Amino acid sequence: MTAVAHERASKPIVKRILPPPVTGQELVLVGVIAVLWVLLGIFTPSFLSPSSIQPLLVSVAPIALIGVGMTFIIITAGIDVSVGGAIALCAVVTAKLLVNYDVPLIVAVLVSMVLGTVLGLINGTLIAYGRVHAIIITFGTANIFQFFALRVFGSSTVNGIPSTLDVFGRGESGRTLGVPHSFAITILVVLIAWWYLRNTAGGRHLFAIGGNENAARLAGVKVQPRVVFAYVATGALVGLGACFFIAAGTSTLDQGVGAGRELAVIAAVVIGGTSILGGRGSVIGTLLGAILVQTVNSGVTQLGWPSQLANLFVGIFIIIAVGTDLLRERARRSRA
Amino acid sequence: MSNTAEVVGSVPRVELSGIVKTYGGVRAIRNADLSVAPGTVHALVGENGAGKSTLIKILAGAERADAGSLQFNGEPVSITSTTDALGLGVQTVYQEPQLFPELSVAENVFVGRELRRGIRVDWAAQAEQMNSLLDTVGLDVGIATRTVGDLSIAQQQQVSIAKALAGEARVLILDEPSAILTDAEIDVLFAVIRRLTATGVSVIYISHRLDELFRIADVVTIMRDGETITTRPIGELTVREIAELMVGGVLAEPRADVEATRGDVVLQLDDMSLAGSFSEISLDVRAGEIVGLYGLIGSGAGEIASTIYGMQRPTGGRMLVRGEPVVLRRPSSAKKRGIHLLPANRSAQGSFSFQSIAFNITIGELHLLSRIKGWVQRRAERDIARNFITRLAVKTPSERQPISAMSGGNAQKVVLARQLVNRPELLVLVEPTQGVDVGAKEEIHRIIDDLASEGTAVLVVTSDLGEVLRISDRIIVIRSGEIAHEFTPDATQVEILAAAAGETHGSEEPS
Repeated sequence: MTAVAHERASKPIVKRILPPPVTGQELVLVGVIAVLWVLLGIFTPSFLSPSSIQPLLVSVAPIALIGVGMTFIIITAGIDVSVGGAIALCAVVTAKLLVNYDVPLIVAVLVSMVLGTVLGLINGTLIAYGRVHAIIITFGTANIFQFFALRVFGSSTVNGIPSTLDVFGRGESGRTLGVPHSFAITILVVLIAWWYLRNTAGGRHLFAIGGNENAARLAGVKVQPRVVFAYVATGALVGLGACFFIAAGTSTLDQGVGAGRELAVIAAVVIGGTSILGGRGSVIGTLLGAILVQTVNSGVTQLGWPSQLANLFVGIFIIIAVGTDLLRERARRSRA
Repeated sequence: MSNTAEVVGSVPRVELSGIVKTYGGVRAIRNADLSVAPGTVHALVGENGAGKSTLIKILAGAERADAGSLQFNGEPVSITSTTDALGLGVQTVYQEPQLFPELSVAENVFVGRELRRGIRVDWAAQAEQMNSLLDTVGLDVGIATRTVGDLSIAQQQQVSIAKALAGEARVLILDEPSAILTDAEIDVLFAVIRRLTATGVSVIYISHRLDELFRIADVVTIMRDGETITTRPIGELTVREIAELMVGGVLAEPRADVEATRGDVVLQLDDMSLAGSFSEISLDVRAGEIVGLYGLIGSGAGEIASTIYGMQRPTGGRMLVRGEPVVLRRPSSAKKRGIHLLPANRSAQGSFSFQSIAFNITIGELHLLSRIKGWVQRRAERDIARNFITRLAVKTPSERQPISAMSGGNAQKVVLARQLVNRPELLVLVEPTQGVDVGAKEEIHRIIDDLASEGTAVLVVTSDLGEVLRISDRIIVIRSGEIAHEFTPDATQVEILAAAAGETHGSEEPS
C-alpha cells in the first residue's frame, strides 16, 4: 500500500475584506491591452493617433456602460441575453421620436432610459419572483423585445435622424478636450458602480446572493428586490447605451441595431474577471474587458486582416478568462 | 432472481475484524468487529460519530481501513474500491435515494449495467428481469415505465433497493432507510427486507429508531466512540438497554452556571404544525433561558427551527413573539423581530466562501453600519469584526482572511458571530457544533451560555445528546414530529435517548 501524500505548496493567502481595489486579473488585462496597443502602434502607425483612438473609445462606451449592469447581474449568478433586443427597441423608439417629433436631447435620453428600465423590470421581476433561470427568461424576452423593435421599425429603416444626439457621437461635437463624452460618462458610471459594489449594503448583498443565495436569504438579505435591481440598472444603462449607438452611427438606423451586442457585453464582463458562477466580479475589469474586445475588433480592421479573426481572438480570450476562473474555483473546492 | 438461498452453515457471510480508521489524527474507528450471518437482518446502532457510517463505507469500498481484515464467506478478501465491493455483492442503499429523477424506473435500475444485445439495449430482457425485481421489492409491475421523479420518496427507496438487487446482492446495506418514511411505508420496507432475507441475502440495517429494530432485526451490534461494544440477539435486549450501551457510562455534565435569571416569555408556539414535518407543537422560551430541542434525524426538530425563522409558513397553530402573534413570511421579517438563526449546514446555508471573515460577520447587519451615511462605515465594520474575533476566540491572523481557509470550528464561530452583531431577542441554533472540534465546541457552548445570561432567549436544536444536556435549562424531546417528553437538565442520556428513539414513556418494554 503506497500512501500518497497530498502535499500542496502552502501559498500565501490573499488577505482581503473585499477583493482588492484592483485585482490581479485587471492588472493582467492592463498589460495585455498595453502590449496590443504597442504592437498595433508599431505595425499600423496611425493606430495611436487621436483619430483612431477616439472612435475606439466611442465604440467601447456603450459596451462597457451596459457591461456595468451586466456585471451586477452576473455577480448575482444571473445573466441577461436580452440586451441586444432591448438595445434595438430603445434605439428604434428613440430614433422615431427624434425623427417624428424632434424632441430635445434630454427628452430623448430620458425616454430611452425609462423604456430600458421597464424592460429590465420585466426581466428582473420574472427572474426573481418566477424562480425561472435567468437564461431562460431573458432568452424569451430577447425574442419578444426584438419583435416589438421590428414592429416599430415597420418594414423600413429609420432615416433622417436629426443630430440631437451628436453630443455622444464620433464627431467634434461629441468631444471635450479630445475625450469623447460618451466614454467620459461611461467612466463616471463605472466609478460610481465600483464604489456602490464595495461600499454600500446593496452592493455587498449582490455578492452575497451570487456567492450563496441560501445563506444570503438566511442572513436576512432581501434577495428578490436586489435581483430585480440588478436587471433594472442594466435596463436603464441599456437605454443610455442605445442613445450612444444611435449617436455613433449615421443618420439612418437599420434593423440590425443591437444584434449580437449581448455577446460583446457578456464577453467584456467575463474577460474582465467576473465569475460566471456569481459571487465575484468587478466593473473596472468589465471596462478593461470592453476596451480589449474593441481593441481587437479595431486592430484586426486596421491591420487589414479578415474581420472574422476578431471573433477568433475574442473567443480565445473568453476561454482563457473563464477557464482560469473555473480552474481556480475547482482548486478552491478541492482544498476546502 | 440470481440470489438463491445458499446454505453456508455457520460461516458468516461477511466478517470484519480489528478494523481501525483514522482521519487526519482523529480516530473514527478504534477497533471494530462485525460478523453478519447469511439471511439475517443485522442492526448497527450508535450515536452520531460512533463510527457506524465509517464502518459501512469501509465495507462498501468507499473508504479504506488503516488496519484490520475482511472475510467473505470464510475467504479473506480485500476491498479497495466500490467496484471490489460490488463484485462481491455488497450493495448499499443510502438514506437519500441516489436516482436520476428524469429517467424511468427501468432505466434507473439498469443504469450502468444495461443488458445488451449487440450494441443495442436489450429492452425485452430488461423488462423481464424488471418484473421479478419489482415483485421482490413490492412494487407494482406497471411502475417500470414511470418517471422516478413522480414517485413518492418511499417508492423511490424501493426502486433504489431494486437497483441494488439488479446487480448480484449478497449483502445489502440500508443506511437509515426509515428516517424519511412514514409508518405505513416502513411496514412495506420491512416486508421487502423479510422477503430478501428469505432468499439468503444478508441485510445490514442502520437506524436511529431503536423501537423498530425489534420488529425487523435478528441481531444488533452497538458502537460507541469508534468501537463495537457488543453484538447480541435483539431478543435479549430492550430499548433502554440498547440506549444504555450506546451512551455507555458517560454521565451528563451539568450546565456550568446555576440558575439563570428568567425573564418574560420571548417565543411561544401554540399548537404549531407543518404538514408532513411536525404537528401541534406548543412550547415557550423565556428571556435568559436555553431550551434544548432534541430529536433524531427525521424527527422534525430541524423543521420547527426553520419554521420559527420564517423559512416556511406553518400550516396550523400560531407563533407569538413577546406575546404578540406574528406571521413570518421570510427570514428577513424574522430578523426584524429580533429572531436570528444559526443554520445547520454551515457551507450550504451559512458562509460566503469567496469572502473575508469581516464580510461574513457583517453581511446580515449592513443596514446598521450604513445607517448614518447611507454607505457602509468601513472602520466600524472592521472594529466589529475584530471585536468578535477576540470575543469568540476565532483563530485567525486577520479579519481579511477568506472564510474558506478556516477550520470548521472557526468558520462556525464566524457564522455565529453574524447572529450576534445585533444582539438577538431569540437565537435559534441548529446543530451548532456539528463538524466542530472538541475545543471549539466547548467555546461555542460558553458563548451560548454567556448570551443567555445577558438575557437572550435561546433555542438549541441538536441531535447531540451530550450537547443538549450540557447547555439546556429544559430539554424537549421531539419524536415523529411531536413532543415526546420534556426533561430537566438532571435527566440522563439514557432517558432522553430512549424517549427520542421510541420507548413509550413509563414502560420498560418496547411497544
